[in-house]
Amino acid sequence: MLEPLFGVLALFPTADDLLKAIPEVKKRGFTKLEAYTPYPVHGIDEALDLPKSKLGVLVFLMASLGAISMFLFEWWTSTVSYPLLTAGKAYNGWPAWVPPMLEGTILVGTFTAALGMLFVFNRLPFFGNPMLRSKAIDRITREKFALVIRPGAGGLDTGGAIAALKAAGGEDIEVVQAPRYSKAGLAWWSKAIGAVGAACVVAGYGTAWVIRTFPTTRPMVEMEDQPRLDAQAADTFFASGRGMQLPPDGTVPRTFMPILAAGPGDGGKALMNPLPVTDSVLERGRTQFDIHCAVCHDRLGTGKAWLDSTYKAQPTDLQSSTVRDASDGYLYWVISRGFASMPAYAADISPDDRWAIIRYVRALQRSQDAPMRDVK
Amino acid sequence: MYRATELPPAPAPARRRTSRGGAPQTFPSSLRVEPLVQGDTSLGKLDDHVRDLSEAKPPRSWYVALVITSLAGLVGLASVGFMIYEGIGTMGNNVPVVWGFLIINFVFWVGIGHAGTLISVILYLFRQKWRNAISRTAEAVTVFAFVCAMMFPAVHVGRPWLPHWLFPYPNERGLWVNFRSPLIWDVFAVVTYFSVSVMFWYLGLIPDFASLRSRVKSRVKRAVFGFMSLGWVGNARQWLHYEKAYLLLAGLTTTLALSVHSIVSMDFASSMVPGWHMTIFPPYFVVGAAFSGFAGVVLVFAFIRTAMRLENYITERHMDLLNKTVLFLSCVMAYAYLMEGFTAWFSSNTFDRYIFANYVFGDQWWAGSLTIFFNCILPQLLWVPRFRRSVPIMVLVSAGVTLGMWLERYTIIVLSLHRDYLPATWGTYLPTPIDFAILLGSVGIFLTLLLLFLRKMPIIATWEVKSDIAHHQAHPSGGLEAEHA
Ligand code: HEC
Repeated sequence: MLEPLFGVLALFPTADDLLKAIPEVKKRGFTKLEAYTPYPVHGIDEALDLPKSKLGVLVFLMASLGAISMFLFEWWTSTVSYPLLTAGKAYNGWPAWVPPMLEGTILVGTFTAALGMLFVFNRLPFFGNPMLRSKAIDRITREKFALVIRPGAGGLDTGGAIAALKAAGGEDIEVVQAPRYSKAGLAWWSKAIGAVGAACVVAGYGTAWVIRTFPTTRPMVEMEDQPRLDAQAADTFFASGRGMQLPPDGTVPRTFMPILAAGPGDGGKALMNPLPVTDSVLERGRTQFDIHCAVCHDRLGTGKAWLDSTYKAQPTDLQSSTVRDASDGYLYWVISRGFASMPAYAADISPDDRWAIIRYVRALQRSQDAPMRDVK
Repeated sequence: MYRATELPPAPAPARRRTSRGGAPQTFPSSLRVEPLVQGDTSLGKLDDHVRDLSEAKPPRSWYVALVITSLAGLVGLASVGFMIYEGIGTMGNNVPVVWGFLIINFVFWVGIGHAGTLISVILYLFRQKWRNAISRTAEAVTVFAFVCAMMFPAVHVGRPWLPHWLFPYPNERGLWVNFRSPLIWDVFAVVTYFSVSVMFWYLGLIPDFASLRSRVKSRVKRAVFGFMSLGWVGNARQWLHYEKAYLLLAGLTTTLALSVHSIVSMDFASSMVPGWHMTIFPPYFVVGAAFSGFAGVVLVFAFIRTAMRLENYITERHMDLLNKTVLFLSCVMAYAYLMEGFTAWFSSNTFDRYIFANYVFGDQWWAGSLTIFFNCILPQLLWVPRFRRSVPIMVLVSAGVTLGMWLERYTIIVLSLHRDYLPATWGTYLPTPIDFAILLGSVGIFLTLLLLFLRKMPIIATWEVKSDIAHHQAHPSGGLEAEHA
C-alpha cells in the first residue's frame, strides 16, 4: 500500500532565500506551506500568514486564576480553617499574603506559558512527526531552512510542487511520506495496564514500608532517643535499682478514700452510691466507662471484648441478672479491688468516677431491657 | 567606549541610512562596536563545536577536577548526614547566633543563583544580544546554585525528615502554615524560583537537543536527547509559539528575579534585630545577588572560554561587558553600604549605630572590612579597559567578589546577632569543622554539577547564537549597535 503523502520539501541556504521563495511558490498556486528553520526567523509569520499566538491570553487567564485562588486559599486558611494569632496581628492581614500570592501567580503563569506552549499550542511531544523521518531534518535543526508544500483538500500535484520549489531556488528536494500507524491493540493495552498495576503495588508496599520503619529509626525517633530514664526502667544510681522511685510508705493521693467494705459481701451494707442520677453524672460515667471498661465489656456492657484472642479471659456480661441484682456497693468493690482475672482500678479511677460509672452501668442495663412505659 | 585601535580593521566608516531615505549619515568610529561573533564560523560550525564539546573525550584535567569536586561534595553530604544523625548541636550556631553557616550559605547560593535569570531574562527584555552566547551556562549556574541553596534551609529546620511541613497541604493535624511569616514567603519564593529556572532552562534546551539528537554517537545519548527534544522539528509555527512563551516567561520571571532575594531579605528585615530591621534590605539584597551572580558567571567563563575554545562566540567584548556590569553593580553595592551606614547614623538609634560601628571596628572587624574591600574597592580595578579583558585580573576581582559577598552575609548574620540589645545575651560564634565541611560540600556539589554540564550538555544556546551568526554573515563589518538590534 502506498504511504500517504506528507509534502514536498526543499532546502534553502539562508533565511533570506527562504523568505524570498515563499511568495514565489505561493504565486504558483501552492498555499499550504510550512517552513522549518534552525532558529526563529523574523518576518516568516507574515510571509506564511501565520495567526498570532494566543498563548498570552491563556497565560493571562491562568495567572489571574492563580492570583485569585492563592488569595482565597490564604484567606481561608488564615481566617477560617486555622486562625492563628501571631504578634497580635489581625487574622485577615492581607498585605502579608501578597508575597506568596505573587509567587503563586508567577508559578502558574510561567508553567502555563511553558507547558501551554509545548503541550497545547505545539502539540508536543510528537515523535510520530513525519518530518522526523525526512532526510532533511538533521540539516534543518543544524543550518538549513526548509519549505514544505503540503497537500491541500484535493491532494498535491507532486511534479508541480517540485518544479515550483526548484524555480524558487530550493535544493535537495525531497518527497516526505507520512507513514500510517496501527492503533494500539489489546496486547499493548494489557501490557500498559499490567505495568501501571505493578507500579502501584510496588509503590504501595514501598510507602507502607517507609511509614512503618521511618518513625522507629534513628534520628527520626526524635525525642524518644535521648539520655533519660523511662518509667519502670532500671537504673544503678539508686540502691533500689529502679529508675523511678517509689513514694514513701503511707503516702496517699489527695482524693484517696479507703474502701470501708472488707469483702464483696458486705459492700451493699456499707457503701451507698453518693451521686444523684443527673445528666452530668451519667455523662461523666459514660466517658469513664468508655475509657476504662469498654475495651473488655463492650460499650453496651455485653462482655464481647474488643481485645483479640490473645486475651484469654471472658469478661462478664454486665447485662446479666447477677450484675443487675448486685448492689451498687458490690460493683464499687469489684472496680476498686478487681475480680478474679479483672484488674483493680482503684489506682486509675477516682472514687467519684467509679460511682458515676456505676450509675451509667445501671442506665445501660435499663436501656437494654426497657419496660414499655420507658419507650412511650 | 572602545578606543579605535582595539577594533578589528573596518573597511569604511560605518554608515547608516536614515529611515526616511535621506543622505547617509556617518558616525565616528568610536561608536562602532565589535561583532558578537568572531573568526571563521557558520551555523554548522557552531553546531559541530557544541556537539564536539559534549561528545569528545574530556581532557585529563576535567577528570582530575571532577574527582576533587565530587570528593568535596561527598565530604559535605557525609557531614550533613552526620549532623542530622547526631543533631544540630554539631554545628556552631546556638543562642544568640542561632543562624550560622547554613543560613549564610543559603543566602550566598541564592545570590549566585541570580546570575541566570538576570542574564537570560532581564538582558533579554532589554534586547542585549550579547546575552545569547552566555545565557545557557548562566542558567546552569542558577539551577546548580539553587540545588545547593535549597539544601541548607531543608537541613537547618532541625527535623529535616519532615520537609513537607514547609508546605500548606491538608493534614491530619488540622494545621496550616502561617502566611504572615516571611519564612513561609521564602519557601514559596525559593521553590517557585527553582522550578521556574529549571523549566526555563529546559525550554531553551529543547531546540538544542533537537539538533544534537541524531548527531551524537552513543545510542543512549541519542535516545535521551531525542526524548528530551520532544520531537521538535523547528516548524515556523512552533517557533512562533516558542518565542511568545519565551517572552512571557522572561516578563514573568523578571518579577521573580526581583522578588526572590527581596523576600529572602525580609527574613531579616521583618525581625527586630539591630542591623536587620531596615527598609533598604530588599533592594540591597537584590543588587547583592545580581553582583555575586555576575561575578560567578565571570569566574566560570574566565576558566572555560579559552579552555573550551569558545573565543569565537564568547568574545573579549562579552567579557568586557560582563566586567562592566560587575563594576557597575559594585558601585551600587558601595552606595547601598553607605546608605545603610547613613540610615543607622541618621536614625540616632544607639543600637543601630553600635552595630554598624561593630561591623568594621568590633571584635570581628575583619568580616565587615573585608566585605567592603572585596565588594567595593577591589572591583574598581575594572575601570581600566585593559583589565576588563585580562583573565588574571577578572579572576582576581570576581573571586574576590564571591568571597566578599559570602563575608557580607557572614557580617549581616553573625555580627548582627552576636550583639543584641541586651549585653547579657551577647555571645560569640565559633563555626565547627562540620560547618566548614558542609560549606565545602556545597561548593563541591555545585562544581561537580557544573563540570558534568560543561562536558555533557549543549553549553551554548545554539539556536540563539545561530541568529547572531546569520546576522554577522549578513553584516560582516560589525557596524552600529542599532543595526544589531
Ligand atoms: C481487662 C479487661 C477488663 C476491664 C478493663 C474491665 N473488666 Fe470487668 N471483668 C473482666 C473480666 C475478665 C471479668 C470476669 C472475671 C471472672 O469471672 O473471672 C470481669 C467481671 C466484671 C464484673 C462482674 C463481677 C462478678 O461478680 O461477676 C463487673 C461488675 C465488672 N467486671 C465491671 C467492670 C467495670 C465497671 C469496669 C470499668 C471500670 C471493668 N469491669 C473493666 C475484665 C475487665
